Amino acid sequence: MSTLVIIPAYNEEESIVSTVQELIGKVPGVQYVVVNDGSLDSTAELCKMHNFNLIDLPVNLGLTGAFQTGMKYAYQHGFERAIQFDADGQHDPRFIPILERRMQESNADIVIGSRFIGCKKPHSLRMLGSNLISTLIHATTGTAINDPTSGMRLYNKSVIELFSKRSDLTPEPETIAFLIKRRGMRVVEEQVTMRERTTGESYLTPSKAVIYMANACSSILFSLWFRR
Amino acid sequence: MSIALRIVLIVGACIVLMFVISKIRQARFSTGDSLFWLLLSFGLVVLALFPSISFFLSGLLGVQSPSNFIFLAVIALLLVREFSLQNQIAQLTRKITTLAQEIALKNEDRSRQG
Repeated sequence: MSTLVIIPAYNEEESIVSTVQELIGKVPGVQYVVVNDGSLDSTAELCKMHNFNLIDLPVNLGLTGAFQTGMKYAYQHGFERAIQFDADGQHDPRFIPILERRMQESNADIVIGSRFIGCKKPHSLRMLGSNLISTLIHATTGTAINDPTSGMRLYNKSVIELFSKRSDLTPEPETIAFLIKRRGMRVVEEQVTMRERTTGESYLTPSKAVIYMANACSSILFSLWFRR
Repeated sequence: MSIALRIVLIVGACIVLMFVISKIRQARFSTGDSLFWLLLSFGLVVLALFPSISFFLSGLLGVQSPSNFIFLAVIALLLVREFSLQNQIAQLTRKITTLAQEIALKNEDRSRQG
């Protein structure tokens, strides 16, 4: 079992210690790396104090750049799989072995920890966006992804290599659509439950949400057809 | 609005699209970068296909002719773009400076130890 847990962290001083300690406690022998994305608070200091495995970026690169750093680390150290894991305590580490098992059984390239396989999505503006992206992905790739915006995704070695070698892949739904459509990758979902975030604010303000949706839609409907 | 201007707008929109597509093919543009150009060419095509929009808006603003309104709109858009580019350049400059300093400090640290 060689899976790297990548934990991008930007200003997560309130939750980073409990998140990593819970991860280590609940998944014996887990290998992880915290990617501190140029935080302004004491995230990096706390990680050093607790001797966490840390990559400390000197400037803020954004989630995409921070996650790519983790993927490069996974590639350079020959990991078989890598999973994206939130630093804010929303993800439950108990599901990591479950996603790994699912990947082995299904031979999939990507396993998404999905909140909505069995149960219906709650009705909210956020879920309207999620539904729209699901519909677009289904229309363009023929694959049903119930929870495209889930941040808990397990990638296999071939995806790790792609992420570390090209700079236009993001940890977002559009990349899922691209990898299915243009690279013929297999993506499956596994039911998970997520917690409400314990600290901090969601970074998705209304204006950012609009830009996020415009981006997701235009890249699935347009860019997808020209990327290779 | 003359037929010639409308054709120029549509041709311009197509050329913009071609450049964007070639950048996407080379994986040089992230999808976010292409969004602005997509919307711009879409807007140009809409204005060319429905001249009544620019007639209405130029009447509203008291601009003499619809083609003048289109020039005004494009100039305004470019100014906004210019501002946001300036902002991004300032951010990049700051990051590169930080990176260079960080590398220099780490090298100094390492040479002292080694």
